[in-house]
Formats: sequence, C-alpha cells, structure tokens
Amino acid sequence: MSAWSEGGAATGALDRGAVPPRGPLRPYRFPGVHRRRLANGMSLLVAEIRNFPVVTVDMVLDAGGLAEPPELAGIAPITSALLESGAGGMDADAIAERVDGLGLSLDAGVSWDTGQVGFTCLRGRLDAGFELTADLLRRPTFPEREVERVRDERLTTIQQRRGTPSTLVDEAEGRWIFAPGLAFARSLGGLARTVEGLGRDDVVAFHARRYRPSAATLVAAGDASVDEIQALAERWFGDWEGRAEPVPAAEVRPRLDRTTIVVFDRPGSVQSEIRVGHVGIERTAPDYFAVMVLNSILGGTFSSRMNLNLRERLGYTYGASSSFASRRRPGLFSMSTAVQTEVTAHSVSEMLRELRELRESPVTGAELEDARNFLAGVFPIGLQTTDGLAGKLSTIATYGLPDDYYQHYRDGLLSVTAADVQDAAQRRLWPERAAVIIAGDAEKIRGELEALDVGPVEMGSMEELEA
Amino acid sequence: MQIPIERYQLDNGMKVVLSEDHTTPVVALNLWYNVGSRNERPGHTGLAHLFEHMMFQGTVNVPDTGHIAHVERVGGSLNASTWLDRTNYYETVPSDRLELILWLESDRLGWFVPALTQEKLDNQRDVVKNERRQRVDNQPYGDWDERLQMLVYPPDHPYHHSVIGSMDDLDAASLDDVRDFFRTYYAPNNGVLTLCGDFDRDEAKRLIERYFGPIPRGPDIPPIPGRTVVEPLKLGREVRETRRGGVPLPRVYLAWRIPVYGADDYYVGDVATELLAGGKSARMYRSLIRERRLARGVAAFLLPVVTGASALIARGNVPAGDDPAVLERAMRDEVRRLADGEIDAAEVERAVTGIEARHVFDLQKVSERADQLSQLTTFFDDPGLINTELDRYRAVTAEDVRRFAREYLGDDNLVVLTYEPGDAAEVAS
Repeated sequence: MSAWSEGGAATGALDRGAVPPRGPLRPYRFPGVHRRRLANGMSLLVAEIRNFPVVTVDMVLDAGGLAEPPELAGIAPITSALLESGAGGMDADAIAERVDGLGLSLDAGVSWDTGQVGFTCLRGRLDAGFELTADLLRRPTFPEREVERVRDERLTTIQQRRGTPSTLVDEAEGRWIFAPGLAFARSLGGLARTVEGLGRDDVVAFHARRYRPSAATLVAAGDASVDEIQALAERWFGDWEGRAEPVPAAEVRPRLDRTTIVVFDRPGSVQSEIRVGHVGIERTAPDYFAVMVLNSILGGTFSSRMNLNLRERLGYTYGASSSFASRRRPGLFSMSTAVQTEVTAHSVSEMLRELRELRESPVTGAELEDARNFLAGVFPIGLQTTDGLAGKLSTIATYGLPDDYYQHYRDGLLSVTAADVQDAAQRRLWPERAAVIIAGDAEKIRGELEALDVGPVEMGSMEELEA
Repeated sequence: MQIPIERYQLDNGMKVVLSEDHTTPVVALNLWYNVGSRNERPGHTGLAHLFEHMMFQGTVNVPDTGHIAHVERVGGSLNASTWLDRTNYYETVPSDRLELILWLESDRLGWFVPALTQEKLDNQRDVVKNERRQRVDNQPYGDWDERLQMLVYPPDHPYHHSVIGSMDDLDAASLDDVRDFFRTYYAPNNGVLTLCGDFDRDEAKRLIERYFGPIPRGPDIPPIPGRTVVEPLKLGREVRETRRGGVPLPRVYLAWRIPVYGADDYYVGDVATELLAGGKSARMYRSLIRERRLARGVAAFLLPVVTGASALIARGNVPAGDDPAVLERAMRDEVRRLADGEIDAAEVERAVTGIEARHVFDLQKVSERADQLSQLTTFFDDPGLINTELDRYRAVTAEDVRRFAREYLGDDNLVVLTYEPGDAAEVAS
C-alpha cells in the first residue's frame, strides 16, 4: 500500500479539495452565415471555417417523410438511396468508383422534414463533388433492377428492426403515441405492406415532384468562401428548373387519452427495453429552449435525474435517457432505458414519477444552472467539423430560423428560468396519458405491470405495426 | 496538413503530448493507461472494464458521480472505454476549464483507493452486468466479438476472452481485486496524457506539473498473463461455429489471423479490407450486394491490437430465406480473388484515397486527434506517427495486397462464425 494512493501525502501547496478556478475565457462565436439566392429559386447558406482543408456541401430538399403520399410510405428514403444507382450517363459501379476515387464521404438521407444529399471532401475535390452531386440530383436514371434491390433491402431492414428489442420499441412507440393513420404513427422507413408495392414509376414521380430547385437550399461549410460556393452552385445548378408544390403540414393528434402499457413478448429475455413517450414539440415552439433545459435535467445528461436514479442509485440499467424529437410539427417525447427483467415494473413507476415531479415542483437553482451551462458549453464542441456546422445551416434552412439564430443560441439557453422550466413541464409532460412500450418476457413482468395500476396493460403484436 | 506536436515526460514517468489549435475555444484531454482486458488473470475477466466504471465513483476529494457532474455542468462531454490493450479516459471542455479536468483526472490517479466502498462496487457491478445484458445477451448477434475472440485466439492467449467478461467473474470481483488492480496498473509511468486544442503550452505544462507531478511513480508493470505470442501466426486449419436462435436473420462472420497493428503487413491488410468492403465500389459491395444480391450489407475491418496477432474480419448479412452457406462461399470467393486474380493499381489508389480522406475528416475533432496521439504514444512511443502513418498506406502496392491475401487470407487460417434464426442456441464445429 503506497502512501500516495492513500491520499494527501503529495499535495504540497495545492488544496485538492477545492474546485480549481476557471482560466481566461475565450468566447465562442458562431461563424457568420451568408445567404444567396439563384435565379431558379434555389437558396444558398454558407459558413466558413478554415482550420482543415475540408468542405461539407448538402442539398436540403422538401423531400422527407412528410412529402410521401401515405399509400407510398417509404418512397422518400428509397428515392434518396437510389440516386447513387445510376445518373448522368454513369451506372451504379461508375458512380461508386467516382465517389471513392475522389475520397468523398457521400451522404444521402431523409428525415421527416427533408431529404438531403451531399458530401464532405478535401478542398481540392470541391468542383468534382458538385459535378457528381448535380448528376445525382438532376439526372438520376433509377434502373429497374436497382429499384428492386433497394426495395428488398428496405424490407430486410424492417424485418431486422422488428427482431431487435430496442428498435422494435422505438417503432411501436410512435404507433401508440400518434392517432392511427397519421404520418408520425408509422416509422420513417415505411411499412412492409407499403414498401412491397413500390415500383420504379413511383420513384420517378416522387423525384420529379420533390427534387426541385424552388424547394431546395444548398448549405456549405468549411474551407471555401461564399463567392466560391456561389460560383460552383451557378455552374452546376444555375440552369436547374422546376417548382415543387408545398408539402402539407402534418396532422398531429395523440392516440391515447390515458396512460397505457403495451408489452411485446420476448420469452426468455434477460432485459426489458422500455420507452415512455407522448406527443412532444415542434422545432419552432416558443418554449424550445426551456424544453431543452427541461430535458437536460430529466434525462439529457449522465447527471440527469433519470440516469442518476435508475443507473447510479438503483443499478437497474446501463443507462437511461430522454429526448424530444422536434420537427416542423410536434414530434415525439421519449424516455428510454433497458433494465433487468425483475425490476421492469418498478422502473416504469419511477419514470412516471419523474414526470410528475417535474410538473409539480420547481427545479433547483443548481440543476437549472448546470443544465443551461451544459447545453451552452457543449454547443461549440459539435461545431468543430464542417459536417457539424453544415448540420446547423440545414436546421436554419429547414425550420425557417433567422440566419443569425445560432449567434444568439447560447444566450437563449442561458436566459431560461426555473419558472420557464416548470411552465414547460406543465404543458409538455403528460404522465397521465403516456404510451409505455416494453419488449420483454411477458410472463415474468405482466403481473407486476398490472399491479402498478397506472393504466391498462395490453399485449403488442407485429401485425399492429403494419395496421 | 501537419498536426503540431510537443512531447515530454514527467519525472514520475508519465508521458505527455501537447497539440495546440486555437480554432475553437475547446480543449480535449485524453489519458491512455496501458492496461486492458489482456492483463486480466483467469477467473477475473471483465475486471479492467469494471475498474474503469469504478474510476467514476469518486475520490477523496470528488464525491461519487461528482467527476461527471463537474464536467457536464461546465459544458463538457466525457467518457471512458476499455479495450483489449488499453483503457482510456477523455473529456472535451470549454478551454477556460482546462484546470478543472486536470484536477479531476489527477485526483482519480492519486486519491482513488481510500474512497472505495463495497456499496459503490456493488452498484457498478450491477450497472456493468446490465451493460452486458444490453449489449451482448439481449442483443441479436451481441456476442459476435466474444465468440470470434475465442475462436481466433488460443485458450491461453490474453485476447481469448472478451472485454466485458463473464457474469460469474463479475459476481466474484471483490473490493480487494479492485484495489490490487489499481495498485498494479494505475500509475503515472503506465499512462499517456494528451492535450489537444485551445490552450497555452507554458500554462498547460505548469498545470500538468502542478496536478500530476506530485503523484509518485508506481512499481513496474507485471508481464501480461498467459501466452502472449501467437505461434504459428496462422491457425493451420478452418474453425467453424454456428449459433442458432435469438436473431431475426442469418449473418456470417469470417476472420483470419494477421500481423499486429504497427507491422508493415497490417497496413497492407487495411488496404485489403478497403478493397473488399470499404465503399460502394469495393468488391464485396459490388458483387455480393449489387450484382448477385446474396447479401444485405457487408463490412470488413481490422482489429488494431498489438499483442501476438491481429485479425481481419468480414461480415455479411443474409437476405431472408437464403442459405448462409451461399453467402459464406461467395465471401470466400471474393477473398480468394484478391489472392489469385487481378488487382488494379487504380483500385488500390481509390482505397488509399478513401483512407486518407477519412483520416483528415476525423482529425477535425480535437478529441479524435488527442485519442490518436495517445494511442500512437502508448503503442509505439511516437505521437509523430499521426503525420506520417498515411505514408505507410501510400507505399502499399497491388502486389503487396495479393501477397498478403495469399499469405494470410487462406482457408488454412480461417474462422467462420454463422448466426441462424431458430429455437435453441447450438454449437457445431
């Protein structure tokens, strides 16, 4: 046993019991955001950071899940995935060779609100990256054989997802939170029955309607000036034509009028995956900052109430967290954990109690300050990469936020009060009408869940996910 | 692009690497201890990782869970991880909080043991057992790395067992085990401290000396238990295991023993994985996914480990209703074609271009830079490799890849692990 490991022996003049002082503060400034517009209606949003010779470029389009006709659910991600399968005289192999030969990190994906296609590249490959992206966006060929392949891959993904406890409850949660038939009640990738029926004509039509310059914003971040980006955009997209119809606003209605527990039976499961959720907020909600602070206190950090309770105090789980998925229209609020089977019911009651407590009593001054400082402090950490910065520009474009939104972002967080948090909790947390979705061993957990007496306990089925 | 590096050593043996960059007012600290699951003795699997959890449970000066709370409340992010060869601890904070994280990291190196309690151990043992349930036991394919390690490495090799360890060994861990582990492996002379980002080097050196300087050097680190050489490097046969039950669709893993991270052939192996499954122009993607539709996803990667042997691993997801044996054959055919067929110089160039681009993209983050600098210093005593490692990739030729594939990727050096849906777990060999 060495002296030093028993403490104190080598402290010298240093008082190890005191938290060290801060050093000199260097304020973080969000890079200036430059906006331009091309004659065809396409917008540009550009921010420079020049520490590495890297640029990220993303085309943000009104081509997300909400732009899908309901009977074609899943068409948005399939269209997006197929852009690489043939375009501008190249087949899929030629495109792949071009992408990999340039060292592009090519990204095509969809959210509920947008479809995005873009790339990160070394600065010297910027022009070639634009050229390739213009081919993908403007001249895709959608070969029949590739449509079939991508559709089959999507069906496999749906099957995999439902066979994995964590992703199964994620999908089921939306289904029990939002009223039947609404877009948010299904998963973003579509249902097996809608994806099965998708064909090349559907893809061509979706592309023709949605991949249009009038509803597109090109965002760029990194080692390039706004003038360079504008010149490249003019060159590769200046003569792109067409108008997209506006996407109708999604309807949002809750499904449940009382807290309901739904169990997906997985006999022999050593853990229960648990989600507790309900309708959340839209990205442009006036209390957005208060809700972010609220979430941080509830389950947004390691030191949050949920994690300290379920993990550090009770030892039930490897981790517990909460989140608000904010979209153009109110998305979902979700609490999430996986606990050992025997403590499933107690974990559910603890999660619901956390919600009630936040509604009933104000958060402490220390909790409030910690949460605000956490959110304000981690903000620049996410903005060291061109990719992270381009993501913020996309958010501005997607939600119609002011161009200087992120210049004031930290101030917005830091000005949230305890009263704001409690107001937000009372409006935004619904412990009396939450969907509690569990994947676990029903025989072992059902009785105790019923004994909780928080609401009906139903059995979930795979068929209901397709209904 | 050159990452600036300054390195030195404290009197107590701790290696320090500094890399300044004032672009964003954040600073990343990364601390690698040269100890991982390879150092665990029989009956004590999972101890290195359980110990990593204990390092967050407070010291004489910082209460239980206080370490994380201190960092989060100033707007920092942090975590730690344990692996076969090492354990690392890291945080990124606004740069005015550098002194805070030096205090926290040095405190758990110097003032940890007296704050240990049975209650803390019992709690973190529960957390880790739940981590195992979540990541391994209740997760389709969750035990793939555990199974592969058992098949690739001999029973007396330190990589034969997994990082997370067994439930029985976790249950058996005592407070004395934790204390002994600390006293054996957690010493300044077994650590590499890296700072990356927005700091002043003179100030940083002063603070590092202030916080870490007084912690005395520990005893010499004992040799790794078990047989650390892998001899012969090649298995000399084909080893198979089939797991049934608990998965929605079949999946195939292939693994071959190859030289360790740092060997010339390791870099050749990395290029080979790129050729096989690096991007959508790679051979397995093109052939197995796009042309023949035998797979629903493929990947290939190396284990960057330094004790005895590394491994090249390829994975393929089998479409619903298909026979995994068909995909296995097709994957093996692609590997054989690397050994026997044409490799185009342009193909190799594409692979190296991809590696190069990802390297630069990754290094944009101070935390990633700090992690790589700590790794290169721990394994090779040379952080400067961050600026020259790419040259080793650029030197790889098509002929090198062919030779590598002939040498290591044959059927006489192959592990096949297959998952199939079904009712009961079953092992066949």
